[in-house]
Amino acid sequence: MGYQWHFEVVVESLDVLLGGLAWTVALSLLSMAASLLLGLVVSFARLSPWRPLRGVATVYTDFLRGTPLLVQILWVYYSLPILTGVVFSPFVSAAIALTLNLSAFVSEVYRAGILSIARAQREAALALGMTTWQAMRRVILPQSIRRVLPPLGSIWVSLFKDTAIVSVIAVPELMYRGKVLSIETYRPLEIYTAVALIYFIVTYPQARGVDWLFERARVRG
Amino acid sequence: MTDGLERASGNDVLIEVRGLDKAFGDLQVLRGIDLDVKRGEVVVIIGPSGSGKSTFLRCLNRLEDPSAGTVRIGGVEITGHGVNLPQMRSRVGMVFQQFNLFPHMTALENVMEGPRTVLRLSRGDAERRARALLDKVGLSEKAGSKPANLSGGQQQRVAIARALAMNPDAMLFDEVTSALDPELVGEVLTVMRELADEGMTMVIVTHEMSFAQRVADWVVFLDDGVIVEEGRPERIFHRARQERTRQFLDQLHWDAELA
Repeated sequence: MGYQWHFEVVVESLDVLLGGLAWTVALSLLSMAASLLLGLVVSFARLSPWRPLRGVATVYTDFLRGTPLLVQILWVYYSLPILTGVVFSPFVSAAIALTLNLSAFVSEVYRAGILSIARAQREAALALGMTTWQAMRRVILPQSIRRVLPPLGSIWVSLFKDTAIVSVIAVPELMYRGKVLSIETYRPLEIYTAVALIYFIVTYPQARGVDWLFERARVRG
Repeated sequence: MTDGLERASGNDVLIEVRGLDKAFGDLQVLRGIDLDVKRGEVVVIIGPSGSGKSTFLRCLNRLEDPSAGTVRIGGVEITGHGVNLPQMRSRVGMVFQQFNLFPHMTALENVMEGPRTVLRLSRGDAERRARALLDKVGLSEKAGSKPANLSGGQQQRVAIARALAMNPDAMLFDEVTSALDPELVGEVLTVMRELADEGMTMVIVTHEMSFAQRVADWVVFLDDGVIVEEGRPERIFHRARQERTRQFLDQLHWDAELA
């Protein structure tokens, strides 16, 4: 093929792309942090002895895991304001949608981690006179953390790449800026290649880090 | 009972069980258990596997909820609703068959955990108490070890120290030597015997018959969810009145000469 590569386009717009990367990182960090907390609440609800609470939490996780993330993002950005009268910026809407979506997956990881700590550990804590909450905080959760760290790492790596989807509501992150630049410069091949490489360069070490977490967990049992 | 082997008299009943029933679904595990445990007394519960011994013990600190009947500890009813379970359990220590130490904590931290989290002792006070108890069970030098690096016998001694750290009124032992290699049983029984000699109120579920005979003030034979027979150890082990008790003891092939 006689295609003339013009990578100088990429060099010229690198600061714009890296500025987009900063938004991607910010959105990922914010959504992950929020979903780690929300997921904990949801997992406690799913483990609650109170049936109605458990039911609500189950519907919540099933629904968020059973609908496309793209639909959730568009719904939060375009539909939620009609319902509530409150309009959020694209960034905030994206963070809300990603947090809700992730919290469903994170809560499942937590739930599995908590359940994997044997009933015996809980009983030993209760027999000492601990409350259910103290047993959770002092005995169950510290042991669960080691088990949930690898799967949470996987979720993080997926999230980092999946944020590209929020370009549909014009959050000025890496993907959106790539899209705009490719139109402005008429150089989609160079620009999208550069965008892919930037995602890969940032994601790859993290993915390897997660592999290492899994390996360590496997060795230590 | 007129054989001169009467139970020590006195009305200082610490644990009083009346009409205790426990069912898991259709399975009736305990039926109409009545039992008194007096302060300072060592009560040993023996019986075949599946006879309800462990379930009975677990009803005493409400790890299982009885289906019917009452349990009183120090005169306070602990069955039914509205009982402050954590407070009650902090007065009753329990040691488990599988030790159940907290694997993310050292031996010292395991023993400090109750005093710190439940009793809200300062770190210094909790550590002093924990070190004294590790010393008592002969494990001072293992204070910094994680459970995974301790033998079964050592783990179980730490578990006993952990329960003692709450200064309980009574201790419950649920087949605490059954998961141990034979050569590690002795070190755990020695610690329990010392506790008994110090006057600790103990309820012990065990298959160690020679130990039961030496340490028990009162032996209860439980079979199929009912108390078949109870009495002083000399009488139960040598002059059981019930055929089922004699059959059970014969089957064990236990050797009285080892006692």
